[in-house]
Amino acid sequence: MIDYTLKEVSEKSGIGESSISEFENSKREPKFSQLSRLAEVYRKKVEFFLTDKPIIERVMLWRDKPESMKEMKNTQEKFYQLCEQYRDLEILMNEVKVPELPCPDVTDPEKFDYDRAELFAKKVQEKFRLGDIPIASLKQMLEEIYYVKIFYVDFLGSAISTVSQEFGPAILLNTRNKQWRRSYDLAHELFHILTWDVFRAKSEIESEPENKLANAFASRLLMPEESIRDRVKASINDKGQIELDRLDDIAREFDVSLVALIYRIADIYRLKEAEKYAKIAEQYVKTTKPRISHEPSRLPERYCDLAMRALREGKLSLTQFAKYMDISYKKAEEYLTDEEGLTDGETAISIA
Amino acid sequence: MRRVSRMEKLQFLLLDAGPIIKLFSLSIWDSFIKNCDVTVSQIVADQAKYASQEFEDIRIDLEPYKQNVKIIDVDPVTVGSFYDKFNLQYKADIHPGEKETLAFLCSRTENWQLCSADGAVFRALAILGRAQQGISLEELLNKIGLSRRDLEWKYTRKFREKYTHMGQMDSIQDKGFS
Repeated sequence: MIDYTLKEVSEKSGIGESSISEFENSKREPKFSQLSRLAEVYRKKVEFFLTDKPIIERVMLWRDKPESMKEMKNTQEKFYQLCEQYRDLEILMNEVKVPELPCPDVTDPEKFDYDRAELFAKKVQEKFRLGDIPIASLKQMLEEIYYVKIFYVDFLGSAISTVSQEFGPAILLNTRNKQWRRSYDLAHELFHILTWDVFRAKSEIESEPENKLANAFASRLLMPEESIRDRVKASINDKGQIELDRLDDIAREFDVSLVALIYRIADIYRLKEAEKYAKIAEQYVKTTKPRISHEPSRLPERYCDLAMRALREGKLSLTQFAKYMDISYKKAEEYLTDEEGLTDGETAISIA
Repeated sequence: MRRVSRMEKLQFLLLDAGPIIKLFSLSIWDSFIKNCDVTVSQIVADQAKYASQEFEDIRIDLEPYKQNVKIIDVDPVTVGSFYDKFNLQYKADIHPGEKETLAFLCSRTENWQLCSADGAVFRALAILGRAQQGISLEELLNKIGLSRRDLEWKYTRKFREKYTHMGQMDSIQDKGFS
């Protein structure tokens, strides 16, 4: 739960401080409308306050977490709420899926080294059929085939991942980050999700070695050795060099930063001056025209589709739909189109 | 208008946020409440007020109408026991305001009518075996002599019938309850 002060809860809910205090001390029972307002403040379902079920502690892994604990908890609750809504939609539409994600070959975190991270990335690339440019289909595969819940929110921090018994694997990425940073974060968080049972059995927090392994995995997954070798071979000049302009093109193609590409090339070709090249690349990026970074859709397409179907089938109310889709009531009304002219036979096509 | 004034005032009527917003946008709210004893849940009242902020031409505040419109604030236990009736899969995910309204309706012995523009509400009413207690805004306005021809799909009788039928099918197949 978010640690709001009494004053903050009162301001956010519109319920007097003395009333909230009386609820806390069991001197008075809140009305349902008051519980509903408190649920909104705490990003919980109102049913949360009507049950005695114990609160399940959730493990969430952060990438660049904010210093403020309140900010952190607030983002976690927001993320959790989105995941919960997604799961509710799956339940309502009878589409709860159990993802069969690839597992690493080792179960002991101590035995997980860089070579294994690389091999695992290769295995994932093959299993997901990601091809020559993995980022082109990675997110789509994760969402549509492996049912990983991926959301984009503007928050302090870079990314969060979790694997929950309630709603399965989920990743939160930051809309504020550049596209290539989000791609890298996605691959990085994917490592955590796929190795959740290996590393989380020992610790709920990410260690530095685990972080480095996740980076190695991400780098290998997004920039497969064979693909990078092909590009390098095609771009190398008579002096055995590649111009930064050309490298920048390759980085754009793989949707990674120029610095990330340079480190990957250094790793593949065993170059000793990786850091020197990375610094030159940083300077280069500052002096050239910035690459276009597209704004992501906040909600997954499958989530939106489930919500629209739930609305049309009368399984989700219009107000809830507006809340789930993060749109106004007025905008939500536009989704309720007149379907009276369509019969069941007209909303399906015959194949056989 | 004379025909309207001779009509008996409609009693035991619950309103959902959608119809309230529509009645205000049609500028017939005042005439409407002269013909109906209206009851609204506190959450629905808040919701209508909040939602109306998105519309340029209407502002909804039921406070000044407190003499004509009864605002109810239901006990959480009543809502909780109502909600527990539904199973996880067929629990229509309705807004707390509508949950409060439905829980109130189910806890009363009088023949309350619930006017909504929400498929989930009509579906839930049918699952509860209370299909006859749902009414569309179109039917309601016809009943009190304030008929409108230009109502959108979600305010029509056909809309209510479509979602009521879905709920009835669930009910026949024994779906819905835990």
